[in-house]
Amino acid sequence: MWACLLLGLAVYALFGIVPMIANVIMSFTDYTALPGASVDNVGFSNYTSMFTTQAPGFDQAFIATVVFVVAVTVGQNVIGLVFAHRLQGQSRAAAAGRVLVFMPIAFGVTIVGLIWILFFNPQQGPAASLFGAFGVHSAFFGADNWAMPLVIFVQIWQNAGFSTLVFIGGLRAINPSIYEAAEMDGITGWQRLRRITFPLLAPSVTVNVLLAVVGSFTTYNLIYVLTGGMYGTQTLGMLAFNAAFGSFEANLGYGAAVLVILFLMTLVVAIPLMMLLRYRERRLFG
Amino acid sequence: MIHRRPRLVSGITVGVLIVLLFLLPALYVLMMAFESPSHFLTSPLTPGSPDVSNFSGAWNGADLGVELLNTILYSVVASALSTLLGLVIAFPIARRLLRGHSLLYTFCFLGLFLPFSVIPLFAESRVLDLYNNRIGYIILHVEPGLPLAVVLLTAAIASVPYELDEAAYMEGAGYLTHLWRVIVPLIRPALLIAFLYGMLGVWNDIIGPVVLLADPSLFPVTRGIYNFFGSNESQWTLLAAGIVIASLPVVILFAASQRQINRASIVGGVKG
Repeated sequence: MWACLLLGLAVYALFGIVPMIANVIMSFTDYTALPGASVDNVGFSNYTSMFTTQAPGFDQAFIATVVFVVAVTVGQNVIGLVFAHRLQGQSRAAAAGRVLVFMPIAFGVTIVGLIWILFFNPQQGPAASLFGAFGVHSAFFGADNWAMPLVIFVQIWQNAGFSTLVFIGGLRAINPSIYEAAEMDGITGWQRLRRITFPLLAPSVTVNVLLAVVGSFTTYNLIYVLTGGMYGTQTLGMLAFNAAFGSFEANLGYGAAVLVILFLMTLVVAIPLMMLLRYRERRLFG
Repeated sequence: MIHRRPRLVSGITVGVLIVLLFLLPALYVLMMAFESPSHFLTSPLTPGSPDVSNFSGAWNGADLGVELLNTILYSVVASALSTLLGLVIAFPIARRLLRGHSLLYTFCFLGLFLPFSVIPLFAESRVLDLYNNRIGYIILHVEPGLPLAVVLLTAAIASVPYELDEAAYMEGAGYLTHLWRVIVPLIRPALLIAFLYGMLGVWNDIIGPVVLLADPSLFPVTRGIYNFFGSNESQWTLLAAGIVIASLPVVILFAASQRQINRASIVGGVKG
């Protein structure tokens, strides 16, 4: 037992915990990964340079991250809730709908990104024809004012199915006799949704909101595929990647420092949010 | 039944929205893949006479055969390992065989929130000689699936009655024999879910292959098809065929395991 357990924990420590600690240490160095280059302790300069013009892009990436996280979290959960409400049933149409909304998750980030690049290609794409019919012409993923909203849209498109399934699980866990009692009291329609269904969904809301927040903070796979972080879509995760691997002046130390800030931001948002949502659950369920 | 009509209307609206947003883009790419480039140039929105030359072009141009095999190798082996390691961590936790079992659980649970810290992993892969080789790439992708495997399997094992442990113990079964013969068959659905999510993680990773691999013959199909996009700009029908081929394995797998995915996500929702 011990041998197996320790083997498992060793893998977790070596490739999960050690890199995280190494990341913090690297953020205080000028590590470049070039063979023969010296690695020096540079103190907090990787951090201070974020706020000066030495390492540009931090302000913009900070704002982009906040916009991305808020829009994705709200969008994904609202859409997931609406879909779940409509697709929870046993009918064949509902089952087909569930398969469809879950499909992008199976496709995976790369395929999803490339599908939408084809769809929004500015030359022959259907989106170009569609918008062109209204006299709107754009480079879409290659345009400053289009790229970010589209990236947010694709991120929501990819993950809405997951939120939907979690909400469906929550909806199915609600005892039908509560609805019957409500109907006796004449509570129907919107009132029923607002007063009964939504509060009773609290555990699913907690799970979905937290997963969306943490997921959208840390993800940059999709942005890498869609824009590579150009046209105003460089979030902090993307900035870290670009600083470390994107140019000839590889600066892994700075990238690591950006990741540390990103991780702290995630914690600062996610932990109070989790406490708030748990408090809400306790208040609702007594 | 006053609210009957708006409900029907909103039901249809959501249905149409799902078909438009989720089915059409996929169908459109499929249609594109079967179009000849010349027909696509003149009328990109309508299907022409089916042309399969895009598929052979993409297959050869992007070296998709090797890359698909690489993808299958990486995702299956890495995910199988992380599921197995998840099992041997989860069992002692679920059975409270050690003193710090709940602390250990929290420790593993936190892993769900760790980002894939690609910068130190890149440095680590250089030091441990895991950079740019198949075995290294697999080893580096075991850990990301591990925390979820532990969480899922702990819950599953906890629902297996203790009496079975005692019965096996009476018969003198060893630890691993017991795990394999008694526990594994009873928690097969959870194992499958952990395995599928692990595979999905490997499949989703596009930064990993960019940073941790340099040799094109080692690329998984995701990076292969991504590079193919970069080197064949504006050959849209060819790119569409490449997407169709690259997504075929996951679509098959997804179709085969649809029911289990549905069920497990629902359990997750109930447990909160």
